[in-house]
Amino acid sequence: MQQYFENIINGIEKTIREDPAAASPRKKFALEISKLGRDLYAGRRPVAWCGIVAPFEILNAMDITSCFVEFIGAMLSSTGAVATFLEGAEQSGFGTDGCSYHRSVLGAAEKGIMPKPEVLIGTTCPCTGGIAVIENLAKIFNKETFILHIPQDESSENVRFLAGLIKDMVEFVELRTGIKLNRNRFLEAIENSNRMRNILGEVYEMARKVPSPFNGKELNNFGIVMSLFLGTKRGIEIAETYRREFSRRIESGHCGVPGEKIRLMWIQNRVQFKNSIVQMLEKEYNAAIVIDELNSITWQPIDPDDPYTGIARRSLSIPFNGPVTRRIDHLKKLCELYKVDGAINPNNWGCRQGAGSRGLIEEGLKEIGVPVLNLEVDCIDSRNFAEGQIRTRLEAFMEMLENKRS
Amino acid sequence: MYYLGIDIGSLSCDAVLIDHSERIIASSVVPTGARNREAIERVTEDVLRSAGISHEDITSIVSTGYGRNRVEKRDSAVTEITCHGRGVMAQKDGIDLLIDIGGQDSKAILFDENGAIKDFAMNDKCAAGTGRFLEAMARVLQVDINEISRLDAGAKGSVTLSSMCTVFAESEVVSLIAEGIEVNEIVRGLNKAIASRTVSMVKRLARNTSELSAAMSGGVARNSGVVRAISEAMGCGIFVPPEPDTIGALGAALIAKEKSKKMSA
Repeated sequence: MQQYFENIINGIEKTIREDPAAASPRKKFALEISKLGRDLYAGRRPVAWCGIVAPFEILNAMDITSCFVEFIGAMLSSTGAVATFLEGAEQSGFGTDGCSYHRSVLGAAEKGIMPKPEVLIGTTCPCTGGIAVIENLAKIFNKETFILHIPQDESSENVRFLAGLIKDMVEFVELRTGIKLNRNRFLEAIENSNRMRNILGEVYEMARKVPSPFNGKELNNFGIVMSLFLGTKRGIEIAETYRREFSRRIESGHCGVPGEKIRLMWIQNRVQFKNSIVQMLEKEYNAAIVIDELNSITWQPIDPDDPYTGIARRSLSIPFNGPVTRRIDHLKKLCELYKVDGAINPNNWGCRQGAGSRGLIEEGLKEIGVPVLNLEVDCIDSRNFAEGQIRTRLEAFMEMLENKRS
Repeated sequence: MYYLGIDIGSLSCDAVLIDHSERIIASSVVPTGARNREAIERVTEDVLRSAGISHEDITSIVSTGYGRNRVEKRDSAVTEITCHGRGVMAQKDGIDLLIDIGGQDSKAILFDENGAIKDFAMNDKCAAGTGRFLEAMARVLQVDINEISRLDAGAKGSVTLSSMCTVFAESEVVSLIAEGIEVNEIVRGLNKAIASRTVSMVKRLARNTSELSAAMSGGVARNSGVVRAISEAMGCGIFVPPEPDTIGALGAALIAKEKSKKMSA
């Protein structure tokens, strides 16, 4: 796997060396992700496997290479090699109706291609499946797990509780890794985190323009993965590259999807393996995915004098946390801000949280006149991807939206 | 001026030829089989022969159905959802909802007051409750697929199928036969099961089905037992056009005419 990431890094760096104009924001993003992937497998620094809302700036400030486990599932899917790992998980008794992000990670661990962690930090948000994976990894690697219990709402007691728990997590990590959290490094990480947050806020705001300056692939899997760069200069550089490029495009009147006619929101996560969905939407229907649910800033800058409280507030602010009505309000707000014509919900196979909220999301968005297309897609396992059936649903949805606009 | 609509479904390939006044001049339905290009050629030749015209007389062709992109001579391809919607609107005014059950999928289409598609729902990947499901059950019951629609006559409705999975339902039907349950009761049970699944899909679009002006298209609409079961489950009447399996092709032909008009405007 390390070689896989090295090859991507070398390929991107060579392209940029030969043609500096090819250094697009997406390439920069892909380069930094690949470097993170390489670091995970290089064995030079301790590794922490985490849940999605873990406080990555703290771990980054401690020079611990940290990542949420679902990243590996997405990566294996994008390589086209995920089937082996899913089958491995099945052979170990994990049912095929579970989340394939998690199953693929379990299969990868069974086959020995998950880097050995020093620590594991589970988060109870966004789902319990993630915690089960963390606990399985803990058993496989014989390591201890720290669980960050994320309360369901942002009351001051809950913020205090979570801030205290994050402090406990730091102690846990320090004890298991022997690495102390340096106060100055921590403050620097908070400053970096806030700068990245502010720049990303500007990037997302630019994406609201009609027509949108970017296309449906440039901010694919973006917000959620950017959280891995919290507290780092890398994160600021990526965000800055996007801001610079989008500003330039807006000034020059560049349109991400030429002749943009339909503006779409993508709910939850994208399909991770190679597929033609975005290309089809853009080329055949001039439809642009202008906002992904996970590309938004839902938290305030963190006060360096009280960083644990700020980090706790951010973890609590994730719209996946708490009742689904909160998530629906968030989606409605995004639809209005980004002037969305319709939304696509892939309903990732095996995602209980997604399945349970699907109907309520559909109804909620219909209230503001935004139709939702519910697909039945396994975002990881291409073997469950019936392209013809998906195309028919997408095309019919586009025809309906085109007709509505005309 | 003639306009051709071709609907390449998983079980049948249909063509409808209309003239400038939207009058149906000819239609044809053939099994799609394993080579859909041959089926496309056959239906095209059929309607041309019936109408006594040649290819050159056709102003525009719109294809639809899962094989819509296989029609080489198409001017454009439009999904079956849009085509069935357009087709049924030409058959009856004031339709609120269309149920189309084809060979491998089923769909419910909700219209607004202007007849435009407001929303739609489709079955998931499973083919339960579609034409293929009925075909498999007819095979187990050793009856002709065209005959199955009449076989529920006089049934009391005492049989309930617990599974709609084609494979499990098949073994369940085998068990019912072994228990000596009459064929009409089993067929009624199958119809009720299809109705239950279809109504679940419809209710995703409209909670109150009893006041809907509903219609049904697709090959399964020829099965009066299924239509009756769906009608009972929805609590409303269901309009079935005289040629329900060619509604998609008719819609495609009408869209071909509209697109052609727009192009020349």
